[in-house]
Amino acid sequence: MSLPDRIDPRPPRRIYRWDLDKTYLQTDFESLRDLFRTAFQKAHEKVAIPGASALIRELAEQGDSRLCIVSGSPKQMRAVLEEKLKLDGIQWDEFVLKDNVSNLLRGRFRALRGQVGYKLPVILESRIHAPVEAEEVLFGDDAEADAFIYSLYADLIAGRVDERVLAQVLEAGGVYPDDAARVHEAWKKIPIADPVRRIFIHLDRLTPPAHFTAYGPRVVPIFNYFQAALVLLADGHLTAPQVLKIAVEMVQTAGHNIITLSNSFQDLLRRGLPLQQAAIALSQAMEGPNALLKAMRPVPDILAAFSKRLAALGTQPPPPRVQAVDYVSLISHALPRTHKGRSTKPPP
Amino acid sequence: MVGKPQHITIAFDVMGSDHGPLEVVRGAAQLSLESPHIHALLVGDRPVIDEALASIKHNGERISVHHAGDFVGMDEKPGEALARKPESSVAVAARLVAEGEAHALVSAGNTGAGVLACKRHFQLIPGVRRAALATVYPTRGVRGAKQDPFSLILDVGATVEATAEDLVAFAVMGSAYARIISRNERPKVALLSNGVEPQKGPPRVVEAHQRLSQMSGLNFTGNVEGIDIPRGTVDVIVTDGFVGNVCLKMLEGVHDTVMELAQYAYKESLRWRAGLAMLSSGIERLKDITDWEQYGGAPILGFDRIFIKAHGRSKARAIANAGKVAAKAVANELGTAIQEGLAK
Repeated sequence: MSLPDRIDPRPPRRIYRWDLDKTYLQTDFESLRDLFRTAFQKAHEKVAIPGASALIRELAEQGDSRLCIVSGSPKQMRAVLEEKLKLDGIQWDEFVLKDNVSNLLRGRFRALRGQVGYKLPVILESRIHAPVEAEEVLFGDDAEADAFIYSLYADLIAGRVDERVLAQVLEAGGVYPDDAARVHEAWKKIPIADPVRRIFIHLDRLTPPAHFTAYGPRVVPIFNYFQAALVLLADGHLTAPQVLKIAVEMVQTAGHNIITLSNSFQDLLRRGLPLQQAAIALSQAMEGPNALLKAMRPVPDILAAFSKRLAALGTQPPPPRVQAVDYVSLISHALPRTHKGRSTKPPP
Repeated sequence: MVGKPQHITIAFDVMGSDHGPLEVVRGAAQLSLESPHIHALLVGDRPVIDEALASIKHNGERISVHHAGDFVGMDEKPGEALARKPESSVAVAARLVAEGEAHALVSAGNTGAGVLACKRHFQLIPGVRRAALATVYPTRGVRGAKQDPFSLILDVGATVEATAEDLVAFAVMGSAYARIISRNERPKVALLSNGVEPQKGPPRVVEAHQRLSQMSGLNFTGNVEGIDIPRGTVDVIVTDGFVGNVCLKMLEGVHDTVMELAQYAYKESLRWRAGLAMLSSGIERLKDITDWEQYGGAPILGFDRIFIKAHGRSKARAIANAGKVAAKAVANELGTAIQEGLAK
């Protein structure tokens, strides 16, 4: 590291925001028993979702990005979670956990399960210090309200949501006044820009992808992190050899194979994501001499599988439609799962 | 012959069933959630499949789509339709299975078109001259480790005039299928005739009886009569396609008539209605036991690839189960089992 870098590190060109449970970590807290098990798990017992740690490491490879983690896990789990991230070779820049003890002591019961009043102010406050030109890619899951919160965040800082809508959403979302004030305050400090490029939603509950159509093409529901890597390759965040490294990790650690990977590739194509160029880049990378890629051999089979999935579709589907997000009508989907007002129907 | 694969891909002919593509897509989606080792290859109109899949809970890692712009309707003549529509979903699906893109085919569409597509794309197993269409029928008895209430009848329409040699091959194929799918170690096999005595029936049945009696490795019990089909006296009933189809249609007709009579009785008299109400739990239990949807479908036997013909009225559950039956047949190398049976 050069002297100027040590004194004044380069400003980040890209910011990657990650949720933890069900996005990075395989977590079960559907029942009280699961909740207890998760709470008392040791770092080495926690399991990352296949490909997630490889993806984070590859995204950090360029050295000009920041990793910001915002998790709904309680602050008391910080030591274990940090140890797990270190075990996986993950280096983070921000790591925020939820202060649920304080919520409990102050009788703020809505805040215990509520996500909007917790995550939205945290990520807005984090953005205040980011360079205006820094792009963002966000990673969440389908368990709670990540698609809603991340989309609202993106549209707030892009100036596409007005104050009246924000107030309606915060009220309908049961956000406490002090958290709502934090949202407004942070929002006003952020210069208008449109930095959020993608929002990946890991389909932990296998929610049908159409459930997220109302959020527009920026939100990409994914069955696995190979899919995220493919989109990020097309978006210029990753190179083809980096995508292959992620695929290799998934093959070696989670039993993925040519069929699951090529099906994942075709799934994105069928949803209208323009990945043809990414596929060509991957093919070229696979023909290279990289020793790591030996794990992915036989190359002809892989290339054939990808080509067949592409050819099998006939004409390419059109790209998804860009549309304004109606946050007021979508807020019922962002309420905690136990909330009586939460809608189970897919958004219009 | 297809070896034992680690992951099994089942090609689903999505179009052409009575309930339309949605039920087949839902069935394949259900399969993708329940069976991690099975992959579904959905063959049909891509935009229709995509729209259906997007709104159904499924695992995208275990499903792929192959576009086929045409399909054979239920009321179309199979030969003419396939000639006119070479890119119909069932033809494309059969071709993909033949090319090794999938290990087996499931279709709830036009049966004749399915059989014909298989004849065009698949090879007959050595020793088999003609394929047989099998069906399962609910019986009084249960069989095998699965306590299966269904017996297997073949052929029910693929080969109208079968020789003694064909009937012997059908017996071996049916026995292998019952052993694998119903987990029935020694399925009882019988010929359908007009009497239990060995000399009863037309010459081909008498000759088949003689040959089957001499075969080792086959639990051949002799002849059975039509009355034995619903009784479940044996596990596999062998006949030619003409007689089998007449039997099948008659059994379906009897079933429909009984249901109509029950409905009539329900409407006609309060006492009868009360009687039926008292029997309702028993009737429900009977329905559970004989629920054909749990079986999924019936096979076309004799080809080197597996084809499971699901009922045209199949809903998602039946389609998913047909996929599981197909996967089981692939995993247990049904083709090899038939070939070995014929060699004995």
